[in-house]
Amino acid sequence: MTTTTLLGELKKRGVKVRRRGERLLLRDLHGALTPELRAAIDAHREELLATLDGAERSTLTSVDSVCPYCGVGCAIRYFVDEAEDRIRYADGRESPVNHERLCVKGRFGFDYTSHPDRLQTPLIRKESAYPKGPLSTEVRGERKRRPGGLVDYDEVLPHFREATWEEALDLAATRLVEIRDRDGSGALAGFGSAKCSNEEAYLFQKLVRAAFGTNNVDHCTRLCHASSVTALLETIGSGAVTNVFGDVQNADVALIAGSNTTGNHPVAATFIKQARKSGRTKLIVVEPRRIQMADHADYFLQIDSGTDVAFYNSWMHVLIEEGLIDEAYIAERTEGFEALKAVVADYSPEVAAGICGVEPGLIREAARTFGRAERAMIFWGMGISQHTHGTDNSRCLISLALMTGNIGREGTGLHPLRGQNNVQGASDAGVIPMVYPDYQSVEDPAVREKFEQAWGVELDAKPGLTVVEIMGAALDGVIRGMYMMGENPFLSDPNVNKVRKALTNLEFLVVQDIFLTETAEFADVILPATTFFEKSGTYTNTDRRVQVGRKALQPPGGARQDWEITCEIGARMGYPMEYDSPEEVFSEFTALAPSYAGLTYDNLGLTGKLWPCPDPSEDGIQVLFGDRFPTASGRGKFVPAEFAPAKELPDEEYPFVLNTGRRLEHWHTGTMTRRSRALHAIRPGPVVDMHPADLEALGVEDGELVEVASRRGSIVLPAERSDRMLRGAVFIPFHFREAAANLLTIDELDPAGKIPEYKFCAVRVSPAS
Amino acid sequence: MIDLTIDGRAVQVPPGATIWEAARLLGIDLPVLCHDPRLEPVGVCRLCLVEVGEPKLTAACVRGAEDGMEVRTSSERLEVCRRGLVELLLSDYPIDASGRPKTGSDALLALASELGADWPDRRSRSGETGEAPRSRTEPAGGIPAGQGRPLDGTSKVIFVDHQACILCDRCIRGCDDLQVNEVMGRTGKGYQTRIAFDLDAPMGESTCVSCGECEKVCPTGALSLRVWEEPPKDAAGSGNTGWEVL
Repeated sequence: MTTTTLLGELKKRGVKVRRRGERLLLRDLHGALTPELRAAIDAHREELLATLDGAERSTLTSVDSVCPYCGVGCAIRYFVDEAEDRIRYADGRESPVNHERLCVKGRFGFDYTSHPDRLQTPLIRKESAYPKGPLSTEVRGERKRRPGGLVDYDEVLPHFREATWEEALDLAATRLVEIRDRDGSGALAGFGSAKCSNEEAYLFQKLVRAAFGTNNVDHCTRLCHASSVTALLETIGSGAVTNVFGDVQNADVALIAGSNTTGNHPVAATFIKQARKSGRTKLIVVEPRRIQMADHADYFLQIDSGTDVAFYNSWMHVLIEEGLIDEAYIAERTEGFEALKAVVADYSPEVAAGICGVEPGLIREAARTFGRAERAMIFWGMGISQHTHGTDNSRCLISLALMTGNIGREGTGLHPLRGQNNVQGASDAGVIPMVYPDYQSVEDPAVREKFEQAWGVELDAKPGLTVVEIMGAALDGVIRGMYMMGENPFLSDPNVNKVRKALTNLEFLVVQDIFLTETAEFADVILPATTFFEKSGTYTNTDRRVQVGRKALQPPGGARQDWEITCEIGARMGYPMEYDSPEEVFSEFTALAPSYAGLTYDNLGLTGKLWPCPDPSEDGIQVLFGDRFPTASGRGKFVPAEFAPAKELPDEEYPFVLNTGRRLEHWHTGTMTRRSRALHAIRPGPVVDMHPADLEALGVEDGELVEVASRRGSIVLPAERSDRMLRGAVFIPFHFREAAANLLTIDELDPAGKIPEYKFCAVRVSPAS
Repeated sequence: MIDLTIDGRAVQVPPGATIWEAARLLGIDLPVLCHDPRLEPVGVCRLCLVEVGEPKLTAACVRGAEDGMEVRTSSERLEVCRRGLVELLLSDYPIDASGRPKTGSDALLALASELGADWPDRRSRSGETGEAPRSRTEPAGGIPAGQGRPLDGTSKVIFVDHQACILCDRCIRGCDDLQVNEVMGRTGKGYQTRIAFDLDAPMGESTCVSCGECEKVCPTGALSLRVWEEPPKDAAGSGNTGWEVL
């Protein structure tokens, strides 16, 4: 027998042989290996070692799934080494989303899942670790500069003891019930996560609403696009995008407002850059930082932070003045135009120029380019939404699209680029305090009755509190017990010093996560959960595309699937939730969410489907609202906005404006990406970006340490010279706990969207040496 | 629509389609190194050569299909040409480049084995010549290797071996046309012609954003993955996967 025939024979019998270094690995799950074949393997050992390539994709198992990082939701084929239970390669797959493209996080950032820091056993806080408080020196706020910047397990773990799942779950449920029965349902709250699947999000909000008995359930969408969604629901009756980002290829103009697209939605950015490069699409970028997209732009308008309302009002002023509006569309499809017209009349480009710091001529020229386009698309990000006037910013962009008739056709539309891989889905699934799944209001008696019937319990009619409000209520002692699934508010919420007090003040906290997070230091019970790669579920991307993420790896040790943990807590609180699989949860969810009607795991297939999808044999509806808007009148509504400055303006004591956000290589609070070898190697720590002239004025060289302080806290980190910044502005990413940007940020909220003002507060910068 | 025949089989394609695309419709996979359906064809590797009844052979990836065209995709002459091209490409190919991990492929070596190509390192590696594989700067097969072309290990994720590069430009098109990062181009003249990052900066110091597209499309392993040795998983994680160590 030759080696080739031997391999053929083994393959036919489903016996797998792999090489790892100088070892041969054999797996015979079906007992199909005969003694003769085993002898042949022994005899051919040397040839097999020479033939088998330890790392070739052909010897690995492929799993068709999606990316766990951003809202673009790239289709990925993972190549899994089953013997070692590790992912070796990630390849982009053909899909309408990414056409095989990936970014650095998707291609190289999957290895966090196999990091030795993974939690594997439930943990219970030891008696000696009470009264509660932060456990590590860094989270306590005592400055300690140590490289690496992850929670120090050696410092924190001794304060917890290992427990069985039974004990941990019983304790969690007993304490939550105790608080509920003593202080009422309003004393409990839950934070879900936009990193979890639709199924997990659905079950989480069901648990909080049906078993906790409260609508105090929210998640990180509150911190990214809550204001955009508020404005969209108010004006056009739907919080999702009206067109997919890929359709930019059919647009004459693409406007990018407040989005560092190449950093935060890298693959979506490739389609926008490609459209620009093709010569078809003109690109207008409006941003306070000269981001990479600006290098590709036909018009780049570097406005001062927080002046968006004045800026877009002046655009509308120009469009109206010069007759570049779509009168027919305004007459047939919209309402409230006169009120808007009256407001923007005061915002000539000259007035706006004084506020935004951009030449009036340039404002006019860019506005005309937008107004003359037959088809225009508007993309926006956190630069629009994360302000105390974030809802107003979004209203302006929506008005701009409405007055030029740029919604409902190919190459047109509104596209708030969603952040997390499942921020659209978690919102659709109802992890929002004022709505049930599919944005059905908790205050509507008919809707409530429908959900009461479906879930078999009476439900609270009062909308719940939002993320930052819940933290405030914890500080005030109103919220006593919390369940957090995959959120790390200690680093992600504004004003860390306040969050620290709030978390300390909680009587009982359950944290369910994959690593020991800063937030977990305040927990009474920590439940080890699974990563994206260790479970199956559906995720909805920024385009409304519902895609299946498929299990590729085994959970480590005693870690359990998130949806199972949620069900277990429910059962122990006297509210049994029994399902065989995530698929069963998905059908319950779709039955209650009309937008998802008709979707099943089977018809989602390899590339998913867009919701709504009235005919599951097709891909779903790409362009929404061609005829009418889902509002009461069927018309889109203009909601005018007046310019208002940010809450905390720079002054003599705090002369710089702080802007916060993300870096291409990292993700949110860094728990995943800082444990990925490649991503960590590329960008191991924080920097503050500053204009060269500002650095010079401070007498600081590129790379030297500076102290950045606001009225709420201070951090020390290296300065990076960046000619992409405006003078007087600094930018700090929020991934890095050793220089947590959110120690500085202000916890003022947008009145409508309840989103904090991450993009603007006043700081002071001084040399740290 | 345009009607043509390929290897005697009729096929109809829209105007603007290439011979390569027409052949694909018939399920004929013409060998290519420089082409990828996601990229604009450039016709530099010449491996997709076909006969169209003209004195010269033509590259199917760039030649448009024409009405009444009679195309032959295989013949003795084509095979000799293709094999010769691959042998030339491999004449100074560093064999150690083929062992590195990659998400791209070893298309060049796979093609060489498919076409039965013969080149110095294959012979020395298989023991036919009794010689050790040559070093990177040794002349091979009578062709002077010059100073050799450099290695670049400055990127944290991708290793560049310029000696293994066949200048097919797939990486450059991947970077500039697909991802539109516009970091890559070419530099140098003659034998020293190389792919380059920015104005010939080391990859790790360039404006490269590490998306990996260049490595993904590279057909030779000139761009390969830098993979770190992973620590072994603990017993709890790998105890019950059903694998037996021999």
